[in-house]
Amino acid sequence: MTFSTMLSTMATGMLRTFGVFALTLIGSLPLGMIVALLRKSRFAVVRGFIRAYISIIRGTPLMLQLLVWYFGPFYLFGMSIGNWRFPALILGFVLNYAAYFAEIYRGGIESIPVGQYEAAEVLGYTKTQTFMRIILPQVIKRIMPSITNEVITLVKDTSLAFTLAYQEVFSLAKQISASQTSFTPFFIAGVFYFVANYVVEFIMFRIEKALDYYK
Amino acid sequence: MIIEMNNIEKHFGDHEVLKDISFGVDSGEVVSIIGPSGSGKSTLLRCATFLETIDGGEILYMGKRAAHTNEHGEAVYVSPQELRKFRAYCGLVFQQFNLFPHYNILKNLTDAPIHVQHRSKEEAEETAMDLLRKMGIADRATAYPYQLSGGQQQRVAIARALAMKPEILFFDEPTSALDPELTGEVLKVIRQLAEEKTTMVVVTHEMPFAKAVSNRVLFMDGGVIVEQGDPHDVFDNPQEERTKQFLRVFER
Amino acid sequence: MSNMNRRQFLTATALFAAPTLLGLYGCGSSSSSSEPAAEGTFTFKHGFDLDYPPYSYRNDNGEIGGFDVEMAQAVCNYYGWQYEAVPFNWDAKDAELNAGSCDCIWSGFTLNGREDDYLWSMPYSDNTQMIMVNKNSGIATLADLAGKKVGVQTATSAYDMLQDEEGQAALAATFASLEVYDTYTIAFNDLKAGAIDAIAIDVTSGNYLMSGEADYTFLDEELGSEVYAIGFRKDDTELCNQVNAALEALAADGTVAAIAENYPEIAEFITLGK
Repeated sequence: MTFSTMLSTMATGMLRTFGVFALTLIGSLPLGMIVALLRKSRFAVVRGFIRAYISIIRGTPLMLQLLVWYFGPFYLFGMSIGNWRFPALILGFVLNYAAYFAEIYRGGIESIPVGQYEAAEVLGYTKTQTFMRIILPQVIKRIMPSITNEVITLVKDTSLAFTLAYQEVFSLAKQISASQTSFTPFFIAGVFYFVANYVVEFIMFRIEKALDYYK
Repeated sequence: MIIEMNNIEKHFGDHEVLKDISFGVDSGEVVSIIGPSGSGKSTLLRCATFLETIDGGEILYMGKRAAHTNEHGEAVYVSPQELRKFRAYCGLVFQQFNLFPHYNILKNLTDAPIHVQHRSKEEAEETAMDLLRKMGIADRATAYPYQLSGGQQQRVAIARALAMKPEILFFDEPTSALDPELTGEVLKVIRQLAEEKTTMVVVTHEMPFAKAVSNRVLFMDGGVIVEQGDPHDVFDNPQEERTKQFLRVFER
Repeated sequence: MSNMNRRQFLTATALFAAPTLLGLYGCGSSSSSSEPAAEGTFTFKHGFDLDYPPYSYRNDNGEIGGFDVEMAQAVCNYYGWQYEAVPFNWDAKDAELNAGSCDCIWSGFTLNGREDDYLWSMPYSDNTQMIMVNKNSGIATLADLAGKKVGVQTATSAYDMLQDEEGQAALAATFASLEVYDTYTIAFNDLKAGAIDAIAIDVTSGNYLMSGEADYTFLDEELGSEVYAIGFRKDDTELCNQVNAALEALAADGTVAAIAENYPEIAEFITLGK
């Protein structure tokens, strides 16, 4: 196999890795906020359910969760899982990361001084306005470093897609390494992850900078 | 009467904070509330501005009832939508300013008028700039709160409350969080408002200020109003032993 | 979000996919004919591991290929079936098969020791478990492995054999340690680096690794020998019969030999048609 064949083969895997990464973020960043808010729900049943969900997701390996989402429908309900591989993969990643993001959001929301809520209340803001206009912008600034951490972890966690034999960059590296008895594919994958995270860090740094206009 | 509070009861757990308190404020009146810490002054203000719910009694604004005790002895409020109208009657200036750190000074003053009262941006900004000029900080309109001194921040907070055009303005120890050399600039602003006949209730420890500015002084202790009246009477000739004791601490 | 290790993973997978018991070797005597079920409409879902050159792997063009893949495609051509490649994670093969995401496990799959777990096609390849060492290591017999570090890839026949009390567990007990790797590529690299002294590996994979490496060799003594066959779900008698019939026909018309020529490392071990 020529080096360029190796690169172009792995490039398809890089695209798939990016797809998993992007879809996971698009799904889990908003879902995490919903989870964080539901965790403070008036209804004890909802709160209990959300706490159990977060506890299970954080207490078990993502790899196992991916297997459950993929094989669960068949083993529990006898459903055909023909085209279910990719949806299960994304579902597993989104639900996993939403739990982590929810906890970050919760920490951020709880760190906002009660005086901010009271000032908004006295000024007549509705609950939604208070959250969207006053609390959330401050939360985002405060949690940005934690979010960056989590996003970088996600870049690397995408390799767990190999559990469901999704042909992302790390699976391809393993396969090409086996067929070519060479470590070069792993090296290429390593460079890819590093560059990807470098880009992530750069973007997050710019966002943090942009939020630096107040303290 | 702008506000009327009758037979207000409030407790936190077993602790009774307000015991059958009644008081009212007329238009243009400046009322100072003094008393030792834990006497219920701040709680009274928080009940008046609906940050706390009362456990008994009656609250009226402009003669309209916002809360009362029903036949079962429970305090009931009007609907949340109705309550929002009552909130518009009052403004509150906090001890800790509580400005919105992510908004610049101008936006701190215009955001609520625009998004809560649905006033036009132009009108809200015009009002805001007038207020900032009055507070002597018009040049800081585009600064962020963290760039201002405590005294400046508190003046912005006063302006923010006034921008909502309330009928009555409450102050909860507005100078307690400030360095002594900064209290003067805030008190000066409040005095100026008093001269313009702005209806105000000020919880304060600044006795000379209370004496100079108020039309009426309330002395609270242990959840009750011990004594109230003309500031010269209360300060110079207190009738109650507890008032005398409290004021003695402030004399040299 | 830590990675779980392979042993935990295998346990978890076993929970998902407790293989059915009580089966017979070979497809059995179903009444169904070996005629195509529904020509042109049936999609044959070929389940395999892409880490197993040269049976199923990424070939030099970066495409899915290998002896087993070409054979499966030839069977599909024979019947006019649609071929669908279902690469899976080897650890999850039973779950994949039982869940129906693939119709068979056909990926250098060792029959020996798993006789009762699947419905098996006829064996098509011999494979022997060997010990690979550096020519200058001084290791010449299995007995010389006492006190040595031996590497093996997880979830392989060589690994199973070294764990099996009736297999080579007694031999494994003499090792200083048995190092379990994710892939033979990494194990081979450790052998080159001197981190381990030997690798337990099947002869075809070993040949593949050693091609172009003059310094390594197999010990003459074998660990054991086994055959590769295709594993089907136990109730898939008709499909198994059809594939068997196709294999015989493809062996007879020379297709098997032609495909085997593409894989010189394993050609001599292909038993189909010999």
